[in-house]
Amino acid sequence: MTRFLNKKESLILAIVSFLILVVLPCLNAFVPKESFFHVSDFTINVYGKYLCYAVLALGVNLLWGYTGLLSLGQCLFFALGGYALGMHLMLMIGKLGQYQKDIPDFMVFLEFETKYAETGGLPPHWMPFRSIWFAVLMVIVVPAVVAYIFGFLAFRSRIKGVYFSILSQALTYAACLMFFRNDFTFGGNNGLTDFKFILGADINTPETKRWLFIASGVLLLSVYLLCRWLTSTKFGLIQRAIRDSENRVLFSGYATAHFKLFVFVLSAVICAVGGALYVPQVGIINPSEMSTDKSLEAVVWCAVGGRSTLIGPMIGAISVNALKSWATRAFAEQWLFMLGGMFIFVVLFMPNGIVGLPAQLKALKARYIDRKKSGEEPAPVDATEPAPATKSAD
Amino acid sequence: MKSMFGKILGGVAATMVAFSAAAADTVKVGILHSLSGTMAISETSLKDVLLFTFDEINKSGGVKVGGKPYMIEPVVVDPASNWPLFAEKAKQLLEQDKVAVVFGCWTSVSRKSVLPVFEQNNGLLFYPVQYEGEELSKNIFYTAEAVNQQAIPAVDYMLGEGKKKFYLLGSDYVYPRTTNKILKQYLKLKGIPDSDIEEIYTPFGHTDYQTIVASIKKFAAGGKATVISTLNGDTNVPFFKEFANAGLTSENCPVVSFSISEDEFRGLPAKELQGHLGCWTYFMSIKSPENSKFVKDFMAWLKAPKVTGTSYNVTGIDAKGRVTCSPMNLSRMGVYLWKQAVEKAGSFEVDKVRTALIGQKFKGPAGEVTMQENHHLVNNVFIGETLPNGQFKIIKTFNGVAAEPFSEKFLK
Amino acid sequence: MMRFLRFLLLAVVFLAGPWQIRAADSNRADLVTAILSEDLDHQIEIIKKLSDADEPIVTQVLAAWRLSEVYIYEQDDKKIPFLLDPQLNSDGEAKGLRIIDGSVINDAEGKPIWFASFDLVPAENNSKLRIAIKATLDFFSLSDPNPKVRRDATIKLGQSQNLDYIPNFEAKLKKETDKETIRALKEAIALTQLVDEKKEARIAGLKKLGELRSINSMSFLQDFLKKTKEDTKVDRADERKQAESTIKIIEGYIAMGNFAGTSFRGLSTAAVLLIAALGLAITFGLMGVINMAHGEIMAVGAYTAFVTQNLFKSWFGVSGGKFDMYFLVAIVLSFITAALVGLILERGVIRFLYKRPLESLLATWGVSLVLQQIFRSVFGAANVQVGSPSWLSGSFVVHDVLFAYNRIFVIVFAVSIVYGTYLLLTKTSLGLQIRAVMQNRNMASCIGVRTERVNMMTFAFGSGLAGMAGACMSQLANVGPSLGQNYIVDCFMIVVLGGVGSLGGTVSASLGVGVTNQVLEPWLGAVLGKILVLSGIILFLQWRPAGIFATKSRSLDG
Repeated sequence: MTRFLNKKESLILAIVSFLILVVLPCLNAFVPKESFFHVSDFTINVYGKYLCYAVLALGVNLLWGYTGLLSLGQCLFFALGGYALGMHLMLMIGKLGQYQKDIPDFMVFLEFETKYAETGGLPPHWMPFRSIWFAVLMVIVVPAVVAYIFGFLAFRSRIKGVYFSILSQALTYAACLMFFRNDFTFGGNNGLTDFKFILGADINTPETKRWLFIASGVLLLSVYLLCRWLTSTKFGLIQRAIRDSENRVLFSGYATAHFKLFVFVLSAVICAVGGALYVPQVGIINPSEMSTDKSLEAVVWCAVGGRSTLIGPMIGAISVNALKSWATRAFAEQWLFMLGGMFIFVVLFMPNGIVGLPAQLKALKARYIDRKKSGEEPAPVDATEPAPATKSAD
Repeated sequence: MKSMFGKILGGVAATMVAFSAAAADTVKVGILHSLSGTMAISETSLKDVLLFTFDEINKSGGVKVGGKPYMIEPVVVDPASNWPLFAEKAKQLLEQDKVAVVFGCWTSVSRKSVLPVFEQNNGLLFYPVQYEGEELSKNIFYTAEAVNQQAIPAVDYMLGEGKKKFYLLGSDYVYPRTTNKILKQYLKLKGIPDSDIEEIYTPFGHTDYQTIVASIKKFAAGGKATVISTLNGDTNVPFFKEFANAGLTSENCPVVSFSISEDEFRGLPAKELQGHLGCWTYFMSIKSPENSKFVKDFMAWLKAPKVTGTSYNVTGIDAKGRVTCSPMNLSRMGVYLWKQAVEKAGSFEVDKVRTALIGQKFKGPAGEVTMQENHHLVNNVFIGETLPNGQFKIIKTFNGVAAEPFSEKFLK
Repeated sequence: MMRFLRFLLLAVVFLAGPWQIRAADSNRADLVTAILSEDLDHQIEIIKKLSDADEPIVTQVLAAWRLSEVYIYEQDDKKIPFLLDPQLNSDGEAKGLRIIDGSVINDAEGKPIWFASFDLVPAENNSKLRIAIKATLDFFSLSDPNPKVRRDATIKLGQSQNLDYIPNFEAKLKKETDKETIRALKEAIALTQLVDEKKEARIAGLKKLGELRSINSMSFLQDFLKKTKEDTKVDRADERKQAESTIKIIEGYIAMGNFAGTSFRGLSTAAVLLIAALGLAITFGLMGVINMAHGEIMAVGAYTAFVTQNLFKSWFGVSGGKFDMYFLVAIVLSFITAALVGLILERGVIRFLYKRPLESLLATWGVSLVLQQIFRSVFGAANVQVGSPSWLSGSFVVHDVLFAYNRIFVIVFAVSIVYGTYLLLTKTSLGLQIRAVMQNRNMASCIGVRTERVNMMTFAFGSGLAGMAGACMSQLANVGPSLGQNYIVDCFMIVVLGGVGSLGGTVSASLGVGVTNQVLEPWLGAVLGKILVLSGIILFLQWRPAGIFATKSRSLDG
């Protein structure tokens, strides 16, 4: 394995990780509330959520920015991961629910006690989720299997581009409708909620939230390193080659379908793990998390941050969500104008997102100087043309 | 970069930490209703009526604690019909804005999503929309109709009218499911056989009711049939258009809807709905001095909306063709009950207010309401027939029905 | 409405003159006795007796009593039942009119007392009483001038299976001219015969019901069959046989009706999908723009219909032929407004993105968010009400299969806009240019087609179609800020399934999906049906990745 990070990058990464994983939690835990340097429980909790979103964005980007597959179904995997862990958390509530029964509340009022009498009201497929390890395993296995089946079918018949997007959207929509059904045994529209304990700790205390924040940070860091490593290998090279011209790769003797399938499954797993950590932090998982809107949002984070980079999507996810959090409080009635307007602006004028902004400004400046020098119209350099990520027509 | 943003947020919070009571005689109160997304259709009106009520209270001297008046200062957030965002916004209201009380939520799932937040922070939430029950939190007061204040009286009325066949139609989510489950048990108790009960669910945003209406037509062919509808607001238009076009009317098969109030009615074809029934604890057409004042003042307020005594800038008010309805009235009842309890307790502290709330009475537009120990109201229940002008004509009144959230208790 | 008008009319008659009152004297006295009586059986008896007295005052008082609008006033220890004068004063109060003679209730000084309805005690009515009142009112309806009212009343009275009614039905049958009502009367008689004591009458009733193919009597027949089986005292084998054969006849008839009904419903669902997706078939299918704001452009059309309706309302009033024409105008206007919005969208956003189709998805999604919020600020967050013109309300029935006018309209509309689009694309020079640009933008540009202009026109045209779709949807579903969200996924599925760039594909895809949906729904319910259709589409695209009608191309990526 070659070294995939140079010295400077390692240093920056170390500093940022230290800030997130150590400094912020410490500021929350040990600095008194009155101090200016205190980070509130709310901030820790909200940023923990953003870190999970950043993981999701990395998953979307691995697929879109690096392989050229725009999936509108990544939130399905995010939600599946969330559901798998959520099921475990539901079973950890114990008798603390409204009905003080062993099974989750929604099973009581849906009369599962008579429907699944032999297991005491718990549907059989819920049984093994009492073990956290099984739940964690399922966080990875279920989305991977779904992604494998869907990906296998899609890539086998060479569905790509827009078709792939629309098809993944249909999959998500179908799954969303399925989970909305109360008979599907996953809580219907209300989903899974009112969690009490995780790994024996009270899930709602600031300490637990802090640890969840740190866990999200660690997860983000590892996913980042994984993606970083992957994209620097030969595999990553082929990946990008597929994005830029799949046919040429195909004619060079590579089975592109296998590559795409692998990336798709990997991306699904990344999203799912992000979802699994997201759920205990927000305290609810329900089918609207897998609506197509959510997947679109994740794609937009990547676009805003700058796709085809690894830093971009993370910045995008965190900044868009922070903006949303702030605007829904400060401009409760107008924030959609701001958000929608921003998306349009970014797509039109910032094809490489926030990350690409310095380069773009530089180019603009160069053009401006150029024009001044020659005193006439410069040759039309299309600054809005995105650097990578578009597929040339073969 | 990231931590800097956190700092800014933290800084904002720090300035807000200055405890509300200490600040120039105002008390912060949160409004947690979706102003965008799918639920904005219903929830925006509740935000309006809450702001109106705050203005009403502030105008008459605010909330008096220890002889000192406090102006209510609204903190409005938009959880955007997004359930995790509801939890986040609730947390923001409680932990950062330090509001004394929150009025909000419409769907059950949003309430479920914020419930742990309120319990963890020992906050106070008033929930104003009819719901399925089966829940009781010490931090939530349900001014809403419970199933035995809406579905059961309505079915009783229909049974009294000689109806023998019941078609239970609902959107596929928890409220209809639970309500219908309870109704089925109840109908069985009343001697209606299973074969005369049909139970059908449609997805959210369903627009094609041809098949369902055809099956209702068949179901109602033998007469004495009625539809009990728990369809959510949005899907009622396609349903009723189809229903009316199929030649079904309130004469040959009346529909009792639990989710259509005057406010939803604004988007519905009144012609098609005439004569169908609704069941609520308030109708705009109720004739009482309190109600005429409420309606008159609210309409006047909409034209010049403001919250007296605060710098809050009211925007986004749509003043055309507005009405009042049960969830709106119950939102307002909640504010008044809270005000009375605060004044009785002499403090904004949640624990004291909670104790003081129990047994609190208030004479509102629809008569007197009493907060019971189970955090639900004793309220008058009305059955109304829809009129072509979008109002309900009250045809039956049940006085002083005590809400009971747990169905096992009233099914016995 | 009828009832209300009649109520008004009655109120006028009621006040008109003393001769009216005298004619109804005995009935009035009966009414007062009934209202004041404490004995339920006695009350019901009087009400039943009154069914012969079809007079305005009886109808009015009984109807009011049923709705708790008869009030009791105590004066000098005497209970006086009265109605409220519909004329209200400025405080919302009304004079009280005695039921006994229609005179105004005065106070001791001889001045009329003003009553506020919420202060009053209504005369008691329990459910048994209300049912009795309803039956009497239904009897009055048997001679209503409106055949539909007569028919409904007949069906209801027939279903109460009261042998006393038969002579009445037979008398009505002789006079009746309306075909449907004659059938209803025959059905009512046959149905009532089922409870006759004589076996021959029962069998005749069964036979008659079979001949009439009476769907309404199915549940009664089943009950009847059950009873004949349970009856241990007498052998009723021949009745049972007859009942079974009648049920069989009717079931066969229902099955036929179901088939016809499902076909029609499938066709109309297909038409809805087609109308919604056609605009997208142009903007996405032909131009390749992934227009996520398609749904919101539909909403623009629907809101245009709303505004047009309101304008017509203020110009011509609610009723009358002129108001009914609003919808035709609305369709044209919605095309124009939506096309304009499309034009702005194309010039402002989309023209920069022709080379980056996937990014057009993101930008147009942003546009859709902004548009939704604009709807909210302009029209309010609540849904708005778009009424149906009278020529689109109602339905006609052929052999118990229902054909709703608005559904028929939708089908006709779908056919005509598809045909119109087809003509535009194949028979006009603009169509030729559009096809040229869509096939090869550069080549078209080289031979002198103004591609910019063609793009603009095409997008505006596609948006206009979406706008018309929105106006059309306002007749079927709700109009609100999130209208578009309900259709967007379906629209994309239809276009992709049909084959991007193929109009015929879009048509056949919507037909396939629409009919499948309607066939599956009765078996699986709406939710599972939809899930199955979606999975079906995913699997179908496995087999034909480019849709039903793939555009043939020599390019590798088709």
